Amino acid sequence: MKRLLEVRDVSRHFGGNAAVDHVSLDVFDGEAVGLIGSNGAGKTTLFRMIAGELALSGGRIEFDATSLPHRPDQRARLGIARTFQIVQLFGGLSVLDHLLVALQAHEGRQGPMRDVLWKGSSTPEEEQRCLETLRLCGLSDVADAPATALGLGERRAVELARALVVRPRLLLADEPSSGLDAHEAARLARVIALARRETGLAVLLVEHDLHMVEAIAERVIAMDAGRVIAQGTFDAVLHDESVIASWLGRSA
Amino acid sequence: MAGALSVSALVFQDVHAQYGPYKALNGLTASIAEGESVAILGRNGAGKSTLARVASGLVPVASGHLSVLGRSVARTAPHVLARMGVVHLPEGVGLFSGLTIEENLVLRVGGASRSARRRRLAMALGGLNDELRSRRRTKAGLLSGGQQRLVAVTAALAAEPRLLLCDEPALGLSPVAGDEVYAALGRARDLGCALVVIETRLDRIEHLCSRAIVLEKGVAVYDATSSDQGGILDALTGSRGVS
Amino acid sequence: MGVFFGYVLASIPYGCAFSLVAVGLVLTYRATGVFNFAFAAEAYAATVVYSELISHGVQRGWAAAIVVCVIAPVFGALLDFGLFSRIAPGNRTAKTIMALGLTVILPQIVETAVPSNPPVPPAPFFSTSFIPVWRIGGDPVFGSAICEVAGTILVLIGLVLLLRTRRFGLPIRAAVESPKLLELSGVDARWVLRFAWMISTALAAVAGVLYQVGSGATVDPQNYDLLLVVSIAAAALAGLRNLPIAALGGVLLGLAEGLVQGYVPSSSIWYPALVPSLPFLFLLVLLIFHPTLRHLEDTIDPMASIEPPPPVPAVAMRPPIVDRTIRRMRWPFLGVVVFGVILFVPADWTEALTEGAALSIVFLSITLLTGLAGQLSLAQWMFAGIGAFTTAQLAENRHWPILLAALAGALVAGVAGLVAALPALRLRGLPVALLTLCLALLGDDLLFPTSWVSNGTSGVPVPRPSSIFGIDFSSVDSEGFFVLTVVVMIAVAGIVHLLLRGTTGRALTAVHASPIGASSSGVQIRRMTILVFMLSASIAGLGGAFYAMNQQTVSQDSFVYYFGPIYLVVVVTIGATTVEGAITAGMAFALINNALMNVPQSVGGTQLHSTALTVILLSLGAFTYAKHPEGIVEYAKRRLAKTVFRAVEHNDHPLVSAEDSA
Ligand SMILES: Nc1ncnc2c1ncn2[C@@H]1O[C@H](COP(=O)(O)OP(=O)(O)OP(=O)(O)O)[C@@H](O)[C@H]1O
Ligand SMILES: [Mg+2]
Repeated sequence: MKRLLEVRDVSRHFGGNAAVDHVSLDVFDGEAVGLIGSNGAGKTTLFRMIAGELALSGGRIEFDATSLPHRPDQRARLGIARTFQIVQLFGGLSVLDHLLVALQAHEGRQGPMRDVLWKGSSTPEEEQRCLETLRLCGLSDVADAPATALGLGERRAVELARALVVRPRLLLADEPSSGLDAHEAARLARVIALARRETGLAVLLVEHDLHMVEAIAERVIAMDAGRVIAQGTFDAVLHDESVIASWLGRSA
Repeated sequence: MAGALSVSALVFQDVHAQYGPYKALNGLTASIAEGESVAILGRNGAGKSTLARVASGLVPVASGHLSVLGRSVARTAPHVLARMGVVHLPEGVGLFSGLTIEENLVLRVGGASRSARRRRLAMALGGLNDELRSRRRTKAGLLSGGQQRLVAVTAALAAEPRLLLCDEPALGLSPVAGDEVYAALGRARDLGCALVVIETRLDRIEHLCSRAIVLEKGVAVYDATSSDQGGILDALTGSRGVS
Repeated sequence: MGVFFGYVLASIPYGCAFSLVAVGLVLTYRATGVFNFAFAAEAYAATVVYSELISHGVQRGWAAAIVVCVIAPVFGALLDFGLFSRIAPGNRTAKTIMALGLTVILPQIVETAVPSNPPVPPAPFFSTSFIPVWRIGGDPVFGSAICEVAGTILVLIGLVLLLRTRRFGLPIRAAVESPKLLELSGVDARWVLRFAWMISTALAAVAGVLYQVGSGATVDPQNYDLLLVVSIAAAALAGLRNLPIAALGGVLLGLAEGLVQGYVPSSSIWYPALVPSLPFLFLLVLLIFHPTLRHLEDTIDPMASIEPPPPVPAVAMRPPIVDRTIRRMRWPFLGVVVFGVILFVPADWTEALTEGAALSIVFLSITLLTGLAGQLSLAQWMFAGIGAFTTAQLAENRHWPILLAALAGALVAGVAGLVAALPALRLRGLPVALLTLCLALLGDDLLFPTSWVSNGTSGVPVPRPSSIFGIDFSSVDSEGFFVLTVVVMIAVAGIVHLLLRGTTGRALTAVHASPIGASSSGVQIRRMTILVFMLSASIAGLGGAFYAMNQQTVSQDSFVYYFGPIYLVVVVTIGATTVEGAITAGMAFALINNALMNVPQSVGGTQLHSTALTVILLSLGAFTYAKHPEGIVEYAKRRLAKTVFRAVEHNDHPLVSAEDSA
């Protein structure tokens, strides 16, 4: 298998506080990796660095064996898609429009020049592709509803659909199931599995829900206080003493 | 204790509430006794958060009758209710991101007298874990999502509530931190505080709540109480499958 | 030594007033999220009240000052009650617009209400004020200076002590982020905000009176521009957060101003241009490099989801039949209007309509930038000016055909837009408004007065085109030009409409709602921002060129900076999200202005006051804005759509909120 994402010795300090401390990890093509760890372990900070939102204090990140461009939008167009711990939707846009924005940006068919030259309306192919993704994510019924008025479960699904519509190569999902009921969480897991099967997408998943990690991830990496403390199969990591102490607790 | 139980902490009678054109509660009727701990269940969008917001005064009652801690309220401002002992841990973060952890605690725990304020603040600081306590002068907005949630829960518990409305208290917390939060909620219940807990995960409420109300489209469709034969989960699953 | 101290002493009243206003700005911003542009206007109003009190029999200055200090907080409370408390807490654009509206309207109201401003400087606080108390190096130190310094220090200490308190200090910093969460903590957030307004208005009043009495100048609103800009610079220096730095910054800037005015000889070519512009340049540098200003508006209200969602746009709730009818009828309707104007309307009204069309073009640039990209630019009128002057100079001195010159003017304005866009890449929201305000003031002070731009007050003539595509309409000058302007306006409206409805509209809505969400979806925020800024500036430039052609001359007074904010307020309150909003605003402004100009002198009409009255009339719309941030036009359309829906479907539209149907 080809190595898709390579994180080497990456650190990030805030003042004197090391949020991420010499972390190295790999994600291979098509693989699903779970990233778990206590609150404040540095998972989101790592995501922000991979996505280009935050600069590194040290180390390097490579994607597809080349170093990454700087800005988040450049990385997104390379195929790194992301969902957020606190949902980041576009107030004022319909669900379908969320996907169109992402798709048109990805294809480079966005901007004042196109609009002025009368090429601003979305093409049937674009709409077709968005609708397909919406169907995949179970959102067909609400395609025209304003996204921010939906319930949390649907909002998270919209975020996922927005990430998936461009057929990314790597999906960074930050607690996609938090706030969802068991039903919705299971559906989300199914959507991710389907997308992986169809497009060979690799997933890096941050989760606090044991069942989600088990359902999606083939391999698990555990962090605490900015460092990687364990990695391996789901069972192996969950039986690791330090993981039990810092993350899982007695309920195992 | 029996006398105290005759007072209701929260009574909804045919309560309606809405956000602009979107109706969230459609004639909710339910009552929660003082000292009782009740779980609110239901799908997303069923009106669970609205129930808590109406009870704490954030969302006005459009029609119907609501009384909180024995007092009839319709358009009472949230701060009046807060001073009566209603503490609402809202959905989401629930902190001022521009204030430090300590300032957030000072503000959220409240207290009528200087000694009460000091007692509550000490209790809140004691409830934080070591890392957060040592960082109590950092801006809350710089903490991770889960850390912020921990601070907010700690503050809510230290406010010595008579009625505590918790909207998904363990959201975004690691399993071990979530367990600790639920243990702390259990201690608050044992001190006589009425608890209303909105939760999507059933295994969490098993040990905390003796009653569960299931909402659907803004009305209570099912009300289950645990009995000697079985816990709340049995009561829920016995008569009706809950997703 | 003596000279130096003389300048230092002379700058005391300035320093004190600047620091008080800067502190007030920071305080209001931190507590309420409103950047109170109206601060200087409030200070001015307070001074007028002070002077009026003295000229109406209050003998002693200090007594009048006390009365002012009592009235001011009441006024502040009224402002909060009537205006600012009605804005949704998270709506920063609305807060800025409202403050701008107030800035525009307050001096106009005062000037209209107290027509004969006292020509003499207001009386000092004590009759003994100008007796030297002691001397430093031969320079007299007057009692008034001591009064000012002591007063300022007292006020600042009191404020710092107040902000230390648990009851007020902590809530005031929390309220700005989320009044609702503050309420949940048992604090009456409404009163915290109101109290903040009362204090800050009182500060404005004290600052105004100190400034005026201390400087000994006549009461004139123009003096307050300097007060505002310097205090904005001091507040920016403090990152809009730190009160002591704001106070200190005000004092230092006052000193710097005094020293520069003292040492740069007034005969130097620098003096008239540079001295007034120093604070703007300073502010410009601050805005670009100050780190906290870049993240000023990053926080979002954690309780925002409790606010009811904004109403659905009228287009979304219109039955399709209405859409079809509108689409079919709009060209015939337009044709009837244009022909009606040509055939029946007298020439002066035709010119007013042409002016309306030209203004509409400028306003469409605001639609693009504010309605679409969510950026508040106060420099659009300056871009219009750049377009107009370029056109005039090319036509007059290079003998270019006028329409070609107008196109070139639009291009040059577009390039100027780039200057605004580059810093705006790193900023959004309020800092962009401040930045563009700086640019507008710089344009007004440094660029437009120079002779190679405007020929000074004598101006440059601008011819109207007499033929186009071989059609000669020199014999029906005003009608022909009217038709031409309307055609250009429609073309521009078409372009803006395409952008609103096309990929840009969607993408910029996304950027506005969540910059990080948009950029990690691949949206190229920088490229898009730059293009939209440039496009908007060139549209403004084109509008300016047509405005100048309609006036037939353009001089340094044609594009006064403060019409930038005025027009922004007018467009946003009437409706910045649709093309029709801009056109309605442009036409309304020109027509009302013309109507007022025709009011006979006998009933109080004067040409001089008509613009002021128009401004007052339209800014009154700002008061509807708190309730309807989508704009008057959109609101009216929604009401209409609702009525139509009910008539057609015999039922209420499912998305109509209770408030609308009430
Ligand atoms: N901008 C910042 N400034 C200062 N400290 C920060 C900043 N961002 C994150 N941190 C700190 O870095 C640490 C890691 O935060 P991060 O958000 O990555 O945690 P996390 O693993 O995602 O936790 P959670 O599970 O709670 O979301 C925390 O201690 C946090 O306080
Ligand atoms: Mg996180």
